[in-house]
Amino acid sequence: MSNNLGFIDPTAGGGVAPLPLARRRMDLAGATVGLLDNTKEQGDVILQTLGAALQARYGVARVVLRRKEHYSKPAAEAIIAAMAQEVDVAIAAVGG
Amino acid sequence: MASDVDEFEFFLEKAWSDGLPVVTPTEARVQRMLQGTRCAPDEVVGHIPPLLEPATVRTVAIHALMAGCKPDYLPVVLGGLRLMLREDFNLNGVQGTMHGVAPLMIVNGPYAQQIGLHGGNGCFGPGFRANASIGRAIRLLLLNLGGGLPGVASATIFATPLRYTACLTENTADSPWESLAVSKGYAESDNVITCVMVESPRLCFDDVSEEPTRLLTGLADSMTDMCSWNMHTRSDMVVAMGPQHAALCAQAGLSWAEVHGRLCRMAGRKVRDLKGGGNWRRERALAFPITVDPDDDDCFIPAIKDPHDLQLIVAGGWGPCTAICHGWSGGSHAVHGTYEE
Repeated sequence: MSNNLGFIDPTAGGGVAPLPLARRRMDLAGATVGLLDNTKEQGDVILQTLGAALQARYGVARVVLRRKEHYSKPAAEAIIAAMAQEVDVAIAAVGG
Repeated sequence: MASDVDEFEFFLEKAWSDGLPVVTPTEARVQRMLQGTRCAPDEVVGHIPPLLEPATVRTVAIHALMAGCKPDYLPVVLGGLRLMLREDFNLNGVQGTMHGVAPLMIVNGPYAQQIGLHGGNGCFGPGFRANASIGRAIRLLLLNLGGGLPGVASATIFATPLRYTACLTENTADSPWESLAVSKGYAESDNVITCVMVESPRLCFDDVSEEPTRLLTGLADSMTDMCSWNMHTRSDMVVAMGPQHAALCAQAGLSWAEVHGRLCRMAGRKVRDLKGGGNWRRERALAFPITVDPDDDDCFIPAIKDPHDLQLIVAGGWGPCTAICHGWSGGSHAVHGTYEE
């Protein structure tokens, strides 16, 4: 893409279309909460502690823990799709 | 061009550079750069993470131009980028990581010689246009199309000077051995790039050793830094052996494969030592792809967990020195392949 200065935009007019945020649930009572462990050390411990607290204090009905293949890689499409079907709220955490 | 706009300042203010002035991309210059490839300009080479902006042959040519490449260099930039976008290389992870590694391109074959890529005296440093501009073109692509900017998508703590440029060839003229590419099964006549995620080189001087065992003992020690990720996960490493050190080994009858094997076996530390500092964690050791006993203080932990992770090359000028680049923690594996000149 040239501009009127005669230079070329090196980003070639790219730009990722903005994605709308999903609607946020304001009440956790009776909800299923998904916890995504990124595989770093202690990430699972933090998430399990958090899950237990959410059940005890906020009436969360069920907690689902899933684990990525590797902390430096995006979660597999299959995990994301399954969590989207199964949970009302998802929390990703990093250990380390 | 509009005369009241300083073209160099324009690109710096837009954050479309690495902090240094770039060659201003104009349509005429881009068309000249595209003469360096037979690929169609609108061919999509891939999407650069994490922003996933598309890199077409044309946008790669624009960045090669900005970096100072000649049209003849464009095939190497295209070939390198195609390799770096392979899933095994995990560019997405490196773009975001706290660590400060960079994709080092080791280019073998006759085309590297033809375009003047340098593998001798001073090859990791300034003064060589092909080395400087090919690696810089890759970096500009990772910044402008991938968003790998500190404070934007990159959490790097220090980064590394290798993020200005990281491209070299081997010193084939002074090497006693086959090239890295030939060691992987390619022919001498193949044009091959190997990409490895590494830290900046550390220099290992040894002007004392007169036989290989003593020499390799010192080099192996440099491979086992307690705070390097090589000791605490499976990770790549580059050993760029200076031709003088390589000659010492070759004159004692050692082949490339024998030196490679010895370094893999010798470089390591015992659990007892690793516990004393650095990144040691029992659970990290249990996650190794090899079986070790983290509860046995005498258990030997090798720096190289898989022989494929050690990239042994001969590079640099004459003198008693070898350069070693440690790897990354995050699951990147070196990639290699041919490219179309």
